Amino acid sequence: MSAKAAKWIFYLGTLISLVLFLGLTVDTHRQIKTLTHTDKLSEQVVAGKRVWQKYNCNDCHTILGFGSYYAPDMTKVYWRRGSEGIKAVVRTPERFTTWRKMPHLGLTDLELQDLVAFLQWVSEIDTQDWPPQDQKLRAAAGRAVALGVSPGATLFQEKGCFACHRLYGTGGMLGPELTHVGSRRTYETIERILTDPRSVNPQATMPTPPLSHEERDELGRFLAGMK
Amino acid sequence: MVLAYPSQRVAYPYFVVALFLFILQVIVGIWLASSYAFTMPQGLVDILPFSTTRAIHTNLLVLWLLLGFMGSTYFMVPEETERDLFSPTLAYVQLALLVGTGVAALTGFVFGWTKGRPLLEIPHPLDYLVVGGALIFLLNIGMTMLRARRWTVTQGSLLGGLVFLAVMYLFNLPFYANLSIDWYYWWWVIHLWVEGAWELVAAALTAWILMKITGVPRETVEKWLYVELGLFLFTGIAGTGHHYYWLGAPKYWLWVGGFFSALEPVPIILMLVDAWHYIQNRRGQLNGRLVFTFATGMAILHLVGAGFWGFAHTLPPINYYTHGSQVTVAHGHIAFFGAYVLLNLMFFYYAMPKLKGLASYDERRGTLAFWWLSLAMLGMTLAFSVAGVLQTYVERVMGLGYMTAQAQMRFWFTILAVLGLTLLAGVVLTVVDLLTLRPAPPAKASA
Repeated sequence: MSAKAAKWIFYLGTLISLVLFLGLTVDTHRQIKTLTHTDKLSEQVVAGKRVWQKYNCNDCHTILGFGSYYAPDMTKVYWRRGSEGIKAVVRTPERFTTWRKMPHLGLTDLELQDLVAFLQWVSEIDTQDWPPQDQKLRAAAGRAVALGVSPGATLFQEKGCFACHRLYGTGGMLGPELTHVGSRRTYETIERILTDPRSVNPQATMPTPPLSHEERDELGRFLAGMK
Repeated sequence: MVLAYPSQRVAYPYFVVALFLFILQVIVGIWLASSYAFTMPQGLVDILPFSTTRAIHTNLLVLWLLLGFMGSTYFMVPEETERDLFSPTLAYVQLALLVGTGVAALTGFVFGWTKGRPLLEIPHPLDYLVVGGALIFLLNIGMTMLRARRWTVTQGSLLGGLVFLAVMYLFNLPFYANLSIDWYYWWWVIHLWVEGAWELVAAALTAWILMKITGVPRETVEKWLYVELGLFLFTGIAGTGHHYYWLGAPKYWLWVGGFFSALEPVPIILMLVDAWHYIQNRRGQLNGRLVFTFATGMAILHLVGAGFWGFAHTLPPINYYTHGSQVTVAHGHIAFFGAYVLLNLMFFYYAMPKLKGLASYDERRGTLAFWWLSLAMLGMTLAFSVAGVLQTYVERVMGLGYMTAQAQMRFWFTILAVLGLTLLAGVVLTVVDLLTLRPAPPAKASA
């Protein structure tokens, strides 16, 4: 190869790649508005992102698959735990961890609200169906929750029940699987558990879920119907 | 007198600090592996969480590699331009500034002072000091080259790489409100560093060392340097797209990123072939057997780590399952080690004896250190890879949950902690050897 040809490879190779890359960057900026629905990128979401950075969450958790690999990915955590579930874990991590610990970060209630808003916004980014494990969850939970067919099912997601309980094999391992709970427990028993978990089983470690009277009724009817 | 130009001496403190930080980095790394393998008590985690030590581990890596590059540049540029440095004093000021900033940043991390972006945690206003340090460096090198007016392709590649490196760091400075855009530009720093700017610096330093130890003519080396750089940038720039598959960017990145990044091993293969070719066609005795060992080891492990381990998970259908798992960690460790750790050590072994006024030195400890380090790192890479495949399968394919997968991987992190201790012994051996180089034993010299 001549020295001249070598120079041509350098200049052409660099230029082609650079032009393509910058061109697609411009186009990405155009499309990302829809893909990340920037219309929902509220001030609260941005404040939540600052909270996310302030506590260096990303050096244990991945988000969009980036960051550190010490703790679960946060891209779709809103699907998995809902807003109350996320808050519960951040407030009292020792209740949700066994042999790998999460620190007490000491977020204020306002910071926690913002963080949840941020994570909810992130969960709606179009990630080409990544990550696979949460797509499985969504498919399973979708039968009960995602379509919003029942307000009780939405509450199950929103109030963070998935943090400890499983439906269709997905969810947390701390509490019992609830896919067929309706064939084991009556509506009345379930409502008693939701009012005070220890009223049925004095050894129960389940916290009393933050539910209004109407919400308890909706959630109870949803669970009693899971047969 | 072994040093061609007195101002080359400024490289020495850069190397010493870099080596010291390398030891620290590996110690912190062992702590990280132990945090995966064993249960750390809640009280300790509350005070010193994994996130803090992880930030320290990665920042130490970046800091020591960059200080090594800078020291190497200060050593090479006077010989290459045939002129002393513009200002040795400025080089010392720059070192003090960067080390001071580094110490402040690492201490700050412990107290929760962080920007909260992985690998780029250094907060405002410390990141501006980093920029300041980089500007002093570029000024010093640029002025030396300008005054010498003896332009070579090797110099061009080096200066180009360093300017590219500094410019890309600027994308780290703003706050990005949109998380997807944040990560889009995060990769402009990280990817375009390691698969762009740093490759230019590495190619220049390697080409220069190969010219020195093999005596192959400059025209040949620099001609192939052009081709290598062209291929690095052709594959590397658009190859950034392999990080854009799942972050909320358009779908065409799957094709662009997949195609260009799949070609990324090509320039690395060419580099290996070139190095081999030069060594076969060397003029006279190889000038420094150990440097040659490091150069060959670097070329091979660069290909293994960046090339093979990178290719293994760069195609979208595979990356869908491996993205953000320990597979990435396996690739990260062997790629940084093969491409940049060995590059720095190669340069240190070339320059250190000259800085100490030795015409030749006893290479036995250094040879042992090379094999020790490389085998320990290969072992670690395999352990990370097994953990990564387990995670991919249990967590992502079977969907059994994050902690279920981590429980399966725990054993391999115990192995990793042990391998980390082994690596540490090799690092200490390397550092001790480099700092206490002895003249070659007479019997060996006459043989």
